[in-house]
Amino acid sequence: MSRKEELLNLLKDKLRGKFLAGSSLEDKRLFIDIKKEALVETASLLMKEGARYQMGVGYEAKKNGQGLAMVHTFAFDADSLLVAIRALTTEDKPEFDSLTPFIPGAGWSEREYIDLLGLHFKNHPNPKRLVLSDDWPEGIYPLRQDVPYDLMPPSAEEVAFRLDEAPPGSSIIPFGPFHACLHEPAHFAVYVDGEEIKGCEYRGFMVHRGIEKLAATELTYNEIPFVAERICGICGSVHSVNYAQAVEAASGLKIPRRAEFIRTIMLEIERLHSHLMWLGVAGHLIGFDTVFMQAWRIREKIMWLAESLTGNRKTYGMVIVGGVRRDIDLTKADLIKKTLSEVEKDMLALEKAIIKDKAIHRRTKGVGYLSREKAVEWNLVGPVARARGLDMDARRDHRYAAYDEVKFDVVVADSGDVWGTLVVRIKEIYEAIKIIHQCLGKLASELQGSPLAIEIEGPVPAGQQGLSVVEAPRGEAVHYVLTGDDNRPERWRVRAPTYPNLQAVPDMLLNNKLADFPIIVGSIDPCISCTDRVAVIDRKTAADRILSRQELEKLSREVRSKT
Amino acid sequence: MWLWNKIKQLTIPSRTGVVTLRYPYKPRPAPAGFRGQPVWDHTKCIGCAGCASNCPARTIFLRDICQEIRILIYDSSRCTYCGRCADLCPEKAITMSENFELATDNRQDITQTIELFMMTCQRCGRCYDLEIKNALDKLQMLGYRYDSLEVRKVIGQSTPEFEPEHLEKTATYRRPEKLEKSSCGKD
Repeated sequence: MSRKEELLNLLKDKLRGKFLAGSSLEDKRLFIDIKKEALVETASLLMKEGARYQMGVGYEAKKNGQGLAMVHTFAFDADSLLVAIRALTTEDKPEFDSLTPFIPGAGWSEREYIDLLGLHFKNHPNPKRLVLSDDWPEGIYPLRQDVPYDLMPPSAEEVAFRLDEAPPGSSIIPFGPFHACLHEPAHFAVYVDGEEIKGCEYRGFMVHRGIEKLAATELTYNEIPFVAERICGICGSVHSVNYAQAVEAASGLKIPRRAEFIRTIMLEIERLHSHLMWLGVAGHLIGFDTVFMQAWRIREKIMWLAESLTGNRKTYGMVIVGGVRRDIDLTKADLIKKTLSEVEKDMLALEKAIIKDKAIHRRTKGVGYLSREKAVEWNLVGPVARARGLDMDARRDHRYAAYDEVKFDVVVADSGDVWGTLVVRIKEIYEAIKIIHQCLGKLASELQGSPLAIEIEGPVPAGQQGLSVVEAPRGEAVHYVLTGDDNRPERWRVRAPTYPNLQAVPDMLLNNKLADFPIIVGSIDPCISCTDRVAVIDRKTAADRILSRQELEKLSREVRSKT
Repeated sequence: MWLWNKIKQLTIPSRTGVVTLRYPYKPRPAPAGFRGQPVWDHTKCIGCAGCASNCPARTIFLRDICQEIRILIYDSSRCTYCGRCADLCPEKAITMSENFELATDNRQDITQTIELFMMTCQRCGRCYDLEIKNALDKLQMLGYRYDSLEVRKVIGQSTPEFEPEHLEKTATYRRPEKLEKSSCGKD
């Protein structure tokens, strides 16, 4: 009996009348419907069986007269099995039991739907506002179907987020939303006693864009990959592949093997650029700018490679539901091989030059320590988890795309600190290069001339669930798709790897020095976006002025005509 | 040991030399297959609206101003350069050019407008017969779209459940107490 049947029988046995249905199109997924009274019981049963909590998905299933639904998904990494449990509640009493008291990692997933759907979670320890802005009017729940996607309530001036009281004897240092050491708009209220961090409260979601709502009301199946790609500026391909896989799983679509290999190559190229970028930023955050300069120099070659392969540096636009859009032919394969050998050589030289530098060791070892047990408790993913001794990688545990045919090692460190993350990420660069070479070999030999994409025949059946994971450079990203009518999903939920990792940051910060705050937050790799202007500084007077557009144009045209 | 590391760090830049390009002083051509600004060939365009119906950013607008004239506007200000329009065009009238230096302070600089003279079907009075499965059907062509070109807003594919009265209804929702009571509207 397979693990899936075992679990199904166990749940049927224990829940009896509260078990409603169990189904799945694929063999590695299990979708279970239960009565809402059994939610806590089912979740604790699954956790006892060794599950890892992934995310919660709330949606309004009004079309079928069902009320509001909450889905919780769990991963069994050892058995490459994903389980989703769904419970429904009525609209007049939208209440569920909270899972947070025994799964702390579920905290945000539940708070999100307090905001977006107006659900209530009984016994939630911290039901504060999470996603919506502080001045969003109460009683409007954006994910409800009767709220239009472009509703813009007027803003209010005097409403502010109420932060918790600082523990006695400590004072608060605010970081962000705009702060020199933060590269993303988020607010950390850090409690310090002298130099030591005694805790922190996080307020984020300041750039919430409502992409999921947009997908459920405006876009169609094959438009979403291009929007999904723009969820993240670093791992765009991860999200478009993940979304496409979820839809393909829900509709039972089998894509050509060649497309799967090309997707794998693009994912690994993305991992290369992301790891190199993170390495540079980490160096920058600890004041070691040689690493920053050299890592980004190496990364630029990857960016140019991606540009020649896909037509753009970052937003590859390669993935559609059913396959990929562009081929990697033999000339392109040669280009990849040439670039990779250069990158590998440069990276080895850089690693040798920095790995024994005292600056790195002193600033990263023992910093941001989190024990293995805590990492399990917070459901950490990706290099942050692997640095804490958790041997998990979605590429190996939940094989997708072409990862079942390539050989690679999962790099694990057990130091539990920022140093471990650094080691894992550097080693993974070489693993990614290995994977791409294997994929190119397969493309050149066996898979010549196979199609790149298949057409979706007829409408995608409504009401099907699809669940997909992809190992992003920062960790496991999870997408959930519930197919709907009108050629678009009824619900599409994205859980990026930073979502669980960021919840553990307060624990990582505890008892560290304030000066290590930037690198600890940076070690989980939050997104970076920055805008810059051209400023001219007069050396004699030290006065700076901003060039006007005309001056800038004139300057660039003059010099350009000379060269 | 760390001193040895520092020396190694010094040798890296001396080996690699200067890598910074002299852009924008020296132009850097885009590689082949680059997805830059899309360009419409008006002689090939048949006005099927496949590009407008499938644009993920909803940046291509279409309107029949009379029975014979159909206007297509491409407003580049929101374009994400995914190249989906060029992929789907049945006549290959759209090419993704290599032009990427598109920064401007005037939206008209990067807007393309095509006026298409359409034939009228003698039988149905419209441009195409939607009963027969053809290439246009695959592009999910809607027989007649009315996009408001003035406010650049797509009406054809907005929320099916959306009712204009709904916005008025939200004005009565309970609001945070410090807020002044104001009507809830959109721009």
